[in-house]
Amino acid sequence: MKRVRFYNSPVLNVQMPMWRARLVLLLIVLGFFALAVKAMQLQVLSKDFLQQQGERRYERTIVLPATRGKIFDRTGNVVLASSVPARAIWAIPEDTRDASPEGLSAVAKLLDMPLKDLKGRLADVDKNFVYIKRQVSVELADKIKQLKVPGIHQQTEMRRFYPEGDMTAHVVGFTNIEDQGIEGMELAFNDELSGQPGTRRVIKDRLGRVVEDVRAVVPPIDGQDLSLSIDAGLQFDTYAALKKALEENKARAGAGIVVDVRTGEILALVNLPTYDPNHREERKGAALRNRAITDTFEPGSILKPFTVGLALELGRVTTLTQFDTGNGHYRYQGSTISDVSRNGVLDVAGILRRSSNIGMTMISERLSSQEMWTKFTELGFGRAPQANFPGVAGGKLRPWERWRPIERATMAYGYGLSTSLLQIAHAYTALARDGDMVSLTLLKRQGKPTTAPVYTPQVAALLRTMLEAAAGPDGAKLAQVQGYRVAGKSGTARQIVDGKYSKTKYRSSFVGFAPVSNPRIVVAVTIDEPKAGAYYGGRVAAPVFSEIVASSLRRLSVQPDAPIESLVAISAQQEGQR
Amino acid sequence: MARLSLIFAVLLMISAISLVTARFQSRQLFVASERLSAKARELDTDWRRLQLERAELARNARIDEIARGELKMTTTSPERTIYLKMKDGQP
Repeated sequence: MKRVRFYNSPVLNVQMPMWRARLVLLLIVLGFFALAVKAMQLQVLSKDFLQQQGERRYERTIVLPATRGKIFDRTGNVVLASSVPARAIWAIPEDTRDASPEGLSAVAKLLDMPLKDLKGRLADVDKNFVYIKRQVSVELADKIKQLKVPGIHQQTEMRRFYPEGDMTAHVVGFTNIEDQGIEGMELAFNDELSGQPGTRRVIKDRLGRVVEDVRAVVPPIDGQDLSLSIDAGLQFDTYAALKKALEENKARAGAGIVVDVRTGEILALVNLPTYDPNHREERKGAALRNRAITDTFEPGSILKPFTVGLALELGRVTTLTQFDTGNGHYRYQGSTISDVSRNGVLDVAGILRRSSNIGMTMISERLSSQEMWTKFTELGFGRAPQANFPGVAGGKLRPWERWRPIERATMAYGYGLSTSLLQIAHAYTALARDGDMVSLTLLKRQGKPTTAPVYTPQVAALLRTMLEAAAGPDGAKLAQVQGYRVAGKSGTARQIVDGKYSKTKYRSSFVGFAPVSNPRIVVAVTIDEPKAGAYYGGRVAAPVFSEIVASSLRRLSVQPDAPIESLVAISAQQEGQR
Repeated sequence: MARLSLIFAVLLMISAISLVTARFQSRQLFVASERLSAKARELDTDWRRLQLERAELARNARIDEIARGELKMTTTSPERTIYLKMKDGQP
C-alpha cells in the first residue's frame, strides 16, 4: 500500500484523548438538533403566520367596483341618470416637496383651482393622503398624469351624470360623492341601483403586474337599470308650461303632476323652483323640495267634488236639489262664510261650477262628520300614499270626533285639512275612472295596477258631468282645450301666515282630467303665491292645466272627442276604405 | 425490459413537454382574456359616454328650442291633424 506523504508527519503520531472526539460528535449532534427544532418551529408551529406574511407580500385582493345602474324614462330611450368613470386626484404632501413650482402651477391650472388653494392643501406634511380634487374627467386626469409631478396620484371613481338636468331633478334625485343615492329615486332604489362589488385575489409580481388568479374571481354584479313611469316628453311639456306660468304670474313656486288614469303611472312630476343635479353647489335650499310629494297644504275648492260625491252617493242630495246661497254671506256657527260673488239659488252642479262655499256648507249640513271623515280617509287623505318615494307626506286629517261643527263645513270646501298635490291627483283618479282609485307608481308598471273602490260608477259619472261644466264656458273656461272635452275644478286657497289666513298670499290650483268621454290623464297643477295681480285658480292655474292637457294628449296620440272643424281635407271615404 | 423503459421514458418526455406547453398556453389565454375584459369594460364605458352624449343632444329642451327658434316650427292643432284609426281600435 502506497502511503501518502504526510503519513509520517509527527503530528499524526500524537495520540489524542478519546473524549475530544466524543465532544466534537456531541456538538455536531447538538447542532443538528437545534436545526431540527428551528425547522419544526418554522414548519409546524408558526406555519400559518409565516404563510400569511408571505402571501401579504405578493398576493393582493383587488376590489372590482360595480357600476351603478342607469335610470331611464318609460320609453327606455331617454337616459335620466348614468355613471361614467372619473378620477380623483390625491397627493402625499411630503412627497410633493420635491415637485417643481412649474409642475404644481401646471396642475393647478389644469384643475382650474388657484395655486394658493393647492399649496394650502399640501401644507400639512404629516398627512399621508390628501384629496386635491375629485370627480375629474379622465381626459384631464391623463394630462395631469403626463406632467409626472412627484407625490400627485390618481384613483378611479365614478361620476354620475343627469342629462335632463333640472327638468327631472326632483324625481330622479342625485347621489353623493361616494355614489350613494341621497335624494329622490336614487335614494329610494339605492340598493337595486348600487349592485355588489366583486373581488379578485391575485398574485402580483415585483412591478405590480397581475401574474395569476389565486382564487376564482367573484365578478361584480352591476346595479340594475331602473325604468321610471316618467315620460320625458310629457315631463318637458309640463315643465315648460309651469315655468312660463310662474314667470307670468311672478309666483314663488309651483308644481304639476300628470297621472295615467288607466295604469296609475305618474307620467310627469315637476316642481319649481328646481336645480341642476349636475352642479353640486346648486343642490341646496328650497329648490331641493319636492313640493308635489312632500309638501302639504290646505287644498281649498279642489276638494269640493269629493264632498258632493259623498252626498250624492248617500242620497242626501240629488242633481235636482236646490240651495239658496243668498247674497254671498252666510252666518254659520258663529262665523261668516262668504262666496266670491252672489249666486242666488243653485243646484249641486251649480255649486261646483260657481265654487260656492255657502252651497258646500249647506250640503255638509246633510252629512255627519264621521261620514265625511270616512270618505276622506278612503280617498287617501291623512295617510301617506303607497308610493315608492322618500319623504312622501301624508297630510293631516284630524279624527272626526274632534271636529268642531264649523269644521265640518270648512272641510266640505277644503279647509281644515292638508294634503299633498300627489294625494289630490290620486283622489281624482277615482273620478276619472269609474269610482275606483288606482294605485300610483313612479316606476314603469309591470302587470295590472291595484284599485280601491271609493264611489259607485254612477256617482263618478255624475261628478264627471258636473266637473266638465265647472271647466266649461260658465266655469273656469281657461281650462278648456281645443278638440278635447276636459273636466276639472279650480281652487284658490288662502295661505296661513302666523296662524291667520292671509289676504295677500294665495295658492291657485287646478285639478282635472281629459278627455271626458274616456279619461286618459289626470293633471294637477298648483301655483304658490302668484303676485302679478290675478290669483284665482281659474285664472292662474287653469291655463297651465289646459296647456299641459293639450300637449300631453297630443303626445299620447289621443283622438279628439270634441267636435272640431277640420282644416285638413280629410274625406269620409278615406276613413271608409280602411 | 430495456425497450419498455425506453418507451416509458419517451412517454414521460412527451407528457412533460405537453405540461409545459399547456401551462404556457393557459398563461397566454389568461393574458388574452384579461385584455379582452379590459376592452369590454372600456367599450361599456364608451357606450355610456355616447349614450349620455346622445341624451344631451336629444334633450327635449334643446329640440324644442331649435324647432321653434331656428326651424320656425309651431305646434300642430287638432283641426290640422288627420287622425287615423288603427286596427285594434287604439288611436
